[in-house]
Amino acid sequence: MSFRQPSILPGFGLTFGFTTVFLSTIVLLPLAALVLAATSMHWGDFIHTVLSARALGSYRLSFGASLLAASINLVFGFIIAWTLMRYEFPGRKIIDALIDMPFALPTAVSGIALTTVFAQNGWIGQYLEPLGIKIAYTWIGVTLALTLISMPFTVRAVQPALLEVQKDLEEAAETLGAGRFYAFRRIILPTVLPAILTGFTLSFARAVGEYGSVIFIAGNLPMKTEITPLLIVIHLEQFDYQGAAALGLVMLVISFVMLLAINLIQAWGRRRHVGMAR
Amino acid sequence: MSIVLDQVTKLYAGVPVVNDVSLDIGDGEFFVLLGPSGSGKSTLLRSIAGLSGIDHGRIALHGRDVTHVAARKRGVGLVFQNYALFQHMTVAENIEFALRVRRMRARARRQRRQELLRLVALEGMDERLPAQLSGGQQQRVAVARALAHKPEVLLLDEPFGALDAKIREELRRTIRQVQRELGITTVLVTHDQEEAFAMADRIGIMNLGRLLEMGAPHELYSSPATRFVATFLGAANLILARRTPDGILIGATTVASAERASGERENEVVTVVRPEEVEVAADRAGLSSGYLAAGIVDEVVFTGALERLRLRLDPAQHGSLLAFGDGGGNASLQVTRTQHEQRGFEVRPGQAVAIGVRRVHVLPTPLSSFTACASSAVDAEALSRQPLLTELAARMKTRIGTRTEPQLGLPEGPCQGSDTFVGTIVVASGPRCAQEADWLLRRGARDLLALPRDAQAPQRVLIHWVGEAARGATLAISASVLRHVPAEAVYLGIVAGDAASPGHGHGMRELLDARSEAQMAHGLDMRTELHFGDGEQQLARRLAEAPGQMLILGVTDLQDFARRFGGLLEGESPVLIVHRGSP
Repeated sequence: MSFRQPSILPGFGLTFGFTTVFLSTIVLLPLAALVLAATSMHWGDFIHTVLSARALGSYRLSFGASLLAASINLVFGFIIAWTLMRYEFPGRKIIDALIDMPFALPTAVSGIALTTVFAQNGWIGQYLEPLGIKIAYTWIGVTLALTLISMPFTVRAVQPALLEVQKDLEEAAETLGAGRFYAFRRIILPTVLPAILTGFTLSFARAVGEYGSVIFIAGNLPMKTEITPLLIVIHLEQFDYQGAAALGLVMLVISFVMLLAINLIQAWGRRRHVGMAR
Repeated sequence: MSIVLDQVTKLYAGVPVVNDVSLDIGDGEFFVLLGPSGSGKSTLLRSIAGLSGIDHGRIALHGRDVTHVAARKRGVGLVFQNYALFQHMTVAENIEFALRVRRMRARARRQRRQELLRLVALEGMDERLPAQLSGGQQQRVAVARALAHKPEVLLLDEPFGALDAKIREELRRTIRQVQRELGITTVLVTHDQEEAFAMADRIGIMNLGRLLEMGAPHELYSSPATRFVATFLGAANLILARRTPDGILIGATTVASAERASGERENEVVTVVRPEEVEVAADRAGLSSGYLAAGIVDEVVFTGALERLRLRLDPAQHGSLLAFGDGGGNASLQVTRTQHEQRGFEVRPGQAVAIGVRRVHVLPTPLSSFTACASSAVDAEALSRQPLLTELAARMKTRIGTRTEPQLGLPEGPCQGSDTFVGTIVVASGPRCAQEADWLLRRGARDLLALPRDAQAPQRVLIHWVGEAARGATLAISASVLRHVPAEAVYLGIVAGDAASPGHGHGMRELLDARSEAQMAHGLDMRTELHFGDGEQQLARRLAEAPGQMLILGVTDLQDFARRFGGLLEGESPVLIVHRGSP
């Protein structure tokens, strides 16, 4: 590799150095510390901590609810993005701006807001209660909170991709005899699929790491509505740094594997097209 | 007929982008829709494809009314300017798309695909992705894709727009070949007249949403009927001339004219002289064609096979010859000369030459030039700068003169200037207007425009005539005006009495006659309205109903003119009086 590469901005050497240092300091180093802290544990303790029934329950909830939330966003985020990109209606700009609200809001505020609405005596919760549907303090509430805070990622990932699907393509499909559904399935969806997957990945990653909003609405019953990040905090509060690190490591590994899998699927999808061309 | 459009109108935010277009395209015909951008040609094509609905009219394909049929059921193939290929599909998948939709068997699909790829000379490209093809190849794929389902009609929307000249040429040939081989009715939309000439069996020229003229390329080029077509199809010099009993008097020469002024008085006409029909020589004796005027060479541009000259005519002597100039009154004449002509007589900028014309085409347009007329020079000057008038003149590529008549409107007052009035005389609307109009019409003015000071371009033109002798001229002038103004045309039929009176049937017949004559003779599509009551009252009422209207009124009899029509000439709407018959 040469550090003399022509570019609009000079100083590849400097910027590359900055990139490395920056990433090392704020990403790699803390992660390394985490791994180190976890590995300094006794094997027995480690296994005991990460495979305890309470921990297993929290993994199931954390990753299950996150996957569910990302899937919900996959569908509804797409619909929202479609509406915003394809139609002109009064208040469109305002709704477009509202999409980003979950970004800006402290997550605890989102949690409190959701609880106010969905608790047994909340605005909506009070009507659901007689029907036997409980949202707050159940896994449904957790999913709801995760859906809310990760929704912008899907919308924002899909929007630019939809812009690229020219109206011409749909019109071409139409003149060739394709019905709306057929054109959607064969033309629009394949074109925006990579963006949708990216949105899904981002949503999922965001949801797994979420803490603030969930603890208000989850009720935090061990084994039932306790998410892994909360369990980590509980360990910390008991000054069990190693236990917290061990759980953190497990989250890190699972998240990494899942994200890698999604990326590989995407790469495979791209290669398939190029491969077909040969 | 393969494609039949009947009075197709498409509105966009209330404004017609396609305005009353009627058109028949025959089986296997290659029809080119030509027009500047914004003329509505693409919208019309999209309407035929079914991608944009129409607000009025009917569309039929092969005898089937498809006005309300969805695009996917119309059986058309459409090719877009930017190809619109499905990027995530291979060439094969793109071409087979329409066949897959129709659930054709894989083997039959493959066979059809091979056939199409051979047709567009892209054999062996089946498995490529669009991104791996050049622009020209991509457009070939798009053509093959559009033909896959054996459509009855092929529509091409500026298909060569994004390609460079050489590829364009090649693709043109391919498309023409494919079209001939399949015998498929084809409509191509373009703004490039060379492309239209090269490909079309027939060209339709659109401007401001209207289909102005249709015809074989050479016919349209040599004898256009409108100024727009004359100047849009290649370069043209528009020269004002006089129609006399002996022929067309253009400059210093009288050219024999087939369409003799039969019984009509002398009048001004607009002629088209193509740059290649202009001859230059050292002096008048050196000309082999009719002498037009003397001029000075302004500019000489060498363009390879041809040489382009711009000639300046002496404005004092011949300024009035050219129908329009470059704004400052410095009208210049465009000339192209072949190598052969250049060798015969070389010219340099600044050189004085004699100008001759070999061939003159008289435009049948009844509106030639405008003359603003008032009782003082200041008023005439002010009137000539009225925005609607200057706009009209600019669109019609004609000029506005001024004329001062101190005695204007005084019953016995004589004419100050020459005793003939040429072109359309413009007077200011107002209380005095009726007297002035009467005065001018009695002294030989034929077409007279009463113009309110702040009149805007009309959205609707109302047409009516009193006396059958004025019918032809009124329709011709209406058609001419409407070619330059994007407005709706409405013929007002007025029957004395009420709806129950016996005149009813006669009125209806008159209405339909007028409409079909307008359509047949002038290509003008108009709506018709039937009103009952007193003619002048009904006109005044209808005119006052909405702003943005203009009235074109044909009259034959000047008896009582000021009293009868005076009220119309005081309002907020422009009124164009067409006077035919005895003065």
